[in-house]
Amino acid sequence: MAKRKKSDKKKRPIAVTVIAVAIVVLFLLRLYQFFEPLIRNQVFINGITGPLFMGWQLTALGSAFLTSLIYLVLSVTGIIVLIGFLRLHRWSWVLLMAWTGVSLIISLLDYFYSHPNYIVMVSNVIIAFALNITDVQRIYGIRRDDGLSL
Amino acid sequence: MASASDRPTAPVTASDLELLRKFEPVVYFTKGEQFFPTDVDHYVRECSLWEHHPDGRDELLVRQGELTLEKLIEPRPAGFGSVRYLRFIEALSLAESAQVLADQLLLRRKLGEFFHAGIGRLARGGILPRLLDGLFSLSFLLRGKVTAATAAAAELDYHEMLTKDETYTYYGRLTRQNGWTILQYWFFSSFDSWRSGFHGVNDHESDWEMITLYLYEQDGQLIPEWAAYASHDFKGDDLRRRWDDDAELQKEEQSHPVVFAGAGSHASYFRRGEYQAEVNPPLPAWLSGLLHAWNKFWTETLGQPEANAFHIPFVDFARGDGLRLGPGGPQTWSPVLVDESTPWVSQYRGLWGLFARDPISGENAPGGPMYNRDGSPRASWYDPLGFAGLDKVPPPPEMQPMLADNCAKISRRQQELEKLIPEKAAELQEKGVRLKGMEGNPHLAKQYGALEKEINTLSAELRSLRREVSENTSLMEGLTRRLERMKAGGQDDPRAHIHHLAEPDDPTQVLRFDRAAQTWAAVSLSMLMFAIAALIFFAPGYIWAGLAIILILFVVAESFLRGAFVQTVGRITLILAMITLVILFIHFWKWIIVGALVIMGISLMFQRLRELTG
Repeated sequence: MAKRKKSDKKKRPIAVTVIAVAIVVLFLLRLYQFFEPLIRNQVFINGITGPLFMGWQLTALGSAFLTSLIYLVLSVTGIIVLIGFLRLHRWSWVLLMAWTGVSLIISLLDYFYSHPNYIVMVSNVIIAFALNITDVQRIYGIRRDDGLSL
Repeated sequence: MASASDRPTAPVTASDLELLRKFEPVVYFTKGEQFFPTDVDHYVRECSLWEHHPDGRDELLVRQGELTLEKLIEPRPAGFGSVRYLRFIEALSLAESAQVLADQLLLRRKLGEFFHAGIGRLARGGILPRLLDGLFSLSFLLRGKVTAATAAAAELDYHEMLTKDETYTYYGRLTRQNGWTILQYWFFSSFDSWRSGFHGVNDHESDWEMITLYLYEQDGQLIPEWAAYASHDFKGDDLRRRWDDDAELQKEEQSHPVVFAGAGSHASYFRRGEYQAEVNPPLPAWLSGLLHAWNKFWTETLGQPEANAFHIPFVDFARGDGLRLGPGGPQTWSPVLVDESTPWVSQYRGLWGLFARDPISGENAPGGPMYNRDGSPRASWYDPLGFAGLDKVPPPPEMQPMLADNCAKISRRQQELEKLIPEKAAELQEKGVRLKGMEGNPHLAKQYGALEKEINTLSAELRSLRREVSENTSLMEGLTRRLERMKAGGQDDPRAHIHHLAEPDDPTQVLRFDRAAQTWAAVSLSMLMFAIAALIFFAPGYIWAGLAIILILFVVAESFLRGAFVQTVGRITLILAMITLVILFIHFWKWIIVGALVIMGISLMFQRLRELTG
């Protein structure tokens, strides 16, 4: 039987896998949220049929574009973060934490303005708490072994 | 580190004054300091004496120009709740106030001694402390305070006094307790201008500060061992430094400890620098309890670093770049001996300056060296050892005999126990055998119960004796090791007793972008208010969401400038996650409980089945 080669790679805690799954879920949801306002305004069928601004105010179409744009940024960022995160890069932890923070703000705003998305909320909470786990912080170089935060 | 033999000594036969002079301190002030240690006689002659009654009335007892130290202590009965106080600066009219403020500016220009804060205190704390600082400043609208004009008038008066008679006084006291000879140097200043002059917490008329030296006797000589410097309201071990800790306790001409006085506050520091003096604003008990519980959850459950956001960072500037007072320089001390028999020390229990009616007392003048503001005895006077945590420490020559004595006592006790334990053990076995013999005899049930009780008591006693032997063995090892080390001339770590070492800030390390952070610190609070105002005006429908976003943006910007971006983003996200979690729990508590029960059930079943299948 061939000897199994010992991997010299850093061992990935299970929380990292959980976070990666949550990011994929969020990515898919954000992608849906990107398409949804555009579909609702029939942009893919009729194209841009009206102005996006009226003076300083956004029109309904403009608002839909802005919303879509925000979700597009969030979903693209999610994928970039996911790649870095699986490669255990420090920057990806920071970016993911910031991304989760922004995502949580949006989720809470959605909730308080009567459009709650509980799946997004749950995914965000899981990511936030999982990123706070000492082992995860240590593997990404956020926390040192002596307990100090960097 | 200097050994005991290198230390300065003074013969035990020296007079109190000689001893005080031998070890008198050298005090370095910060450039821009306006008030130096002066004598109380001059000061009191410039004051009037007042009584504040519980009904809010202020009664003039002795007018300005007529008061002397003798008149100050004349017996005058006072009712409960009344406050006796001196008044250095009389109430000023608007025109007089404007005049003294202008004169103060002229005086400072003439002296050319301006204070520059450098990287200000506001930039040393986060946005929340800054917000609290704003509220603290606004609190002076409600609290009593010493006005800027009073501070200016005090500066002018003191300068005039100093010009007429340039003397710098300390009040020296010698006392003996528990084998220690204690030298106290009390410094009186006519005003504390920390707030008005140096962006500090408070101003008040008059100020009493103190340092204490602790000497022990050996071969007919007194040798200094410890120095404790009073700093604000702190007390305990952290205040003292050992004489041979040269890095912490600087000396000039070997025998004169060096003190760096805080600008305006006159608090005493061992090292030159700028110290963060954090003030925790008074909070209601329920809020303090809530914060305590939150901090515990934050640090212990969530593993976050401890942070006290609810403090106001004030800086005590002890730069030591100003006037130098003490032996070996042009400005020397005029010592005055005091003790309990000095009438003005023991018989005047009132305030040594204006009673500003400040409910949290920061702006009220202090009591004298022997008394607190409320007239109760001052701990640093009646218990100078306990004040610096030295009440548990014997003088060095007594340390070895005490250790040896302790060892001998423990050794004797061990010998006693060595005899006692076998006796008790034999007795217990004998009773055990008897108990066993009673089994199967129902008519002996009563005796059986009583004997069982006796056996339990004896067994517990024996266990306790054996534990004592074990503990004594460990203790004996420690004491013997220490005794041997001391016999070999080994010394303890001079800072082993310090829990929290007061260290000056390194302002260049505090901030990432000095100038940008400082500017941000100065304008951020106002910008925050403008942003909130704009939000209310332009988007009143989104007030709460907008407010939350604005606050988060400000905190993130702040953290970026302070080089704490990663930590701050982590904290904010965690807080948002907890809020979300609470919301989720409110909506789905049934599902969460059901889910948790199902998971626990599966887990238990899995464990039990594994047990069954081996």
